[in-house]
Amino acid sequence: MFFLMLRQSFVKGWRRKALATATIVLAASLITALMNISIDVGDKMSKEMKSYGANISLVPKSENISLEIGGVDYNPLEGQVLIEEKELTKIKEIFWANNIVGYAPFLKVSAEMAGSAKRVPLIGTNLDKTVAVAGDDEFRIGVRVINPYWQVAGEWPAEDDAGSVLAGALLARERNLQAGDRVSLKAGTSGLAETFTVKGILSTGGAEESAFVAPLAAVQRLASMEGKVQSVSVSALTVPEDKLSRKARRSSEALDSLEYDRWYCTAYVSAITHQIEEAIPNIAARPIWQVAASEGAVINKIQLLMIVVTIAAFIASGLGISSLMVTTIMERAKEIGLTKALGAADREVYLLFLSEAALVGVIGGLLGCAVGAGLSQVIGLSIFGSLVAFNWVVIPVNVAISVLIALAGSLMPSRLITRLYPAEVLHGRR
Amino acid sequence: MADVKAANMTRGRMFLLILFKSLKVRKNRVSITFFSIMIGAAIITALSSVYFDISAKMSRELRAYGANFFIGQKTTSATRTADTAVIEESIAMVPAEKLIGASPYIYGVVRLDLGNAVLAGVDFAGLKKLSPYWQVEGKWISVDFDEGSCMIGKTLAKNMELKVGDSVNVIRSENGFQKSLVIKGIAETGQAEDEQIFVNLALAGRILGQEGKANHAMLSIVTEGTDIDALAARMEAKFPGLDAKPIRKVSHSDGRILDKIKGLMAIIAVIILTVTTLCVMTTLIAIVSERTREIGLMKAIGADDRDIVRQFLAETLTIGLAGVAAGMVVGFVLAQVLGLAVFGSLISFRMIVLPVTLIPSIAASLLAAALPVRMAVRVVPAQVLKDE
Repeated sequence: MFFLMLRQSFVKGWRRKALATATIVLAASLITALMNISIDVGDKMSKEMKSYGANISLVPKSENISLEIGGVDYNPLEGQVLIEEKELTKIKEIFWANNIVGYAPFLKVSAEMAGSAKRVPLIGTNLDKTVAVAGDDEFRIGVRVINPYWQVAGEWPAEDDAGSVLAGALLARERNLQAGDRVSLKAGTSGLAETFTVKGILSTGGAEESAFVAPLAAVQRLASMEGKVQSVSVSALTVPEDKLSRKARRSSEALDSLEYDRWYCTAYVSAITHQIEEAIPNIAARPIWQVAASEGAVINKIQLLMIVVTIAAFIASGLGISSLMVTTIMERAKEIGLTKALGAADREVYLLFLSEAALVGVIGGLLGCAVGAGLSQVIGLSIFGSLVAFNWVVIPVNVAISVLIALAGSLMPSRLITRLYPAEVLHGRR
Repeated sequence: MADVKAANMTRGRMFLLILFKSLKVRKNRVSITFFSIMIGAAIITALSSVYFDISAKMSRELRAYGANFFIGQKTTSATRTADTAVIEESIAMVPAEKLIGASPYIYGVVRLDLGNAVLAGVDFAGLKKLSPYWQVEGKWISVDFDEGSCMIGKTLAKNMELKVGDSVNVIRSENGFQKSLVIKGIAETGQAEDEQIFVNLALAGRILGQEGKANHAMLSIVTEGTDIDALAARMEAKFPGLDAKPIRKVSHSDGRILDKIKGLMAIIAVIILTVTTLCVMTTLIAIVSERTREIGLMKAIGADDRDIVRQFLAETLTIGLAGVAAGMVVGFVLAQVLGLAVFGSLISFRMIVLPVTLIPSIAASLLAAALPVRMAVRVVPAQVLKDE
């Protein structure tokens, strides 16, 4: 009898049920899309934040304090410690290797420019190069990967082009250089001068603007420091700092083994620097807090914003579903009056309504998940240009929420309707 | 003539009477309609308010990245320093509500107990706001006139075996200046600051023998709604010796991130707007559909189709307007809750929110009422009244 009534209610009142299901589908798809986005927005924004540049710098472990002011070194260190270039691929062998977006090595020497007494800094770096690392034969490194804000008026030199340089904007203005000019540079003690063609003018807003920038290999040869680099900038995807990582930073001995594992296996910037130091001996990996700390602060804000918006949308769709449930039940007063007149107990009426609501909730919730998954991909593609990771936890959560809302929305009107007197309803007074 | 007029009048009165009665008698349905329109309007108001304010809010949040504007001496000039007074005057050209923090800097090499280091003179109050990302062990120097304390970089502290609370002798051999300073805090930034020692600007001036001078100043300015390039040009025009420019690395990235966040909010707002509108519509459709009998009755006693449609639309419009008005108030309050929860500040009210909320809400309600009514008026009265 119960199943018969349930089926009848869906077959005869299919329009009403379709409407209720449609509303739940809409609401559930909204919640699915927003939940998906809020779960993934941290990763996505973290990638976007990479436009602020590298967040970790590697320097040789040394006791020397640099005395550099505004690009002028007051204590040129002779025989300074350097990093071996070939060791750098080990960066991609650490636990969080997948979070390393790219890196760029730097070698800065002071060069003599023909026709001028003042020495100019010459920076060698990888511009855009593919190297073979563990698990990826064509990993892109270089400043164009990690510093997207570097702008060149003219052309970028090719990585293997040993005869080209970029001139920093300030330097170019000072020395009246233009793309296409030729400069003769001499570095180190070798005494050999080489002629370079200025391929473009570089604007970065940093110290590079008053220097020449050339492919790493060319600078290494000029300064006879083959295979050596001075510092490395690493761009890594990290999660915002929290209590645990701050505790670890003060002293990693303060952590018990459980905390240590959790810290080590979380992509904190401090954990990643720790792992890089483990992988490459004789270097110190330091987080660049300007990027690392600020990134955390901003991502936390965006995540919070998304969560709050999701909650707001959730409450709104919950109320929307409830108000629809109220109308669909209230309009069946007559039918219920008849059922009761025929001897149905209040309990049975409840059961009918609630199971109807649950069924509508399940169907609507599942369809809503599908629509919402599509919706979140649309958002991901249009804003971030990449797909949003679909989180499976969203499906059960969403179906459960849809059913709960549908049930909650039905409870109040069911109570009202079972209180009615059959005679009054059937007579048409209520 | 008079008859037509009288008929029109009775018609008009009848229309109002039905409208009034319908609202009064069907309190339950009216309140549900009102309620669902109100929720829809509230959500739309809240989200659009947040959306229109998001650039201003996030622009402020992004200032966590520190300085985005540089003022220094032109490289062509003979000296590397400018008068602090000139720099301060140029900083004052930035509108106060747009300036997050600013500090002049002066640098020089000094000898500490265990070796040489770069000494930087700064304005600590400004620096703290300018560089919120500094990881400080110990304390910031909080007062400008504190001349017995210093802060030092982490690498320097490690190499010189210094801790918070220790005192360190600062010696400038060129002018024989010597002073012992207490270390208030050890700062870590991962950049050049790690190897420097910081004291306040006036003291640095005396140590380095360059009182009232500074090398450059760093500023953190809210770029939203400010033409930063024009500001730089104005500064350079007023003080020809100065070089004022936005720091590209930060300002360029700020723009990119802001665009992303705005885009994200926009698309989410549009989706929520659409879904909420559709939800309101389904509720209204359900409510109007159940009145098919009523429509049959009206037709049976002589109402024509147009009258009925007009009647229902007027009814929906009345409830809809009331619902939207209430929804806007609720939504604006909701926007403040959102603003306080996420940004810790209130969301400002913008006129544009009114049409953005009003138009879709009212349009959706009217459409939702018109659809089932149009279907209903096609029915044969006798059939409906007989309950088929």
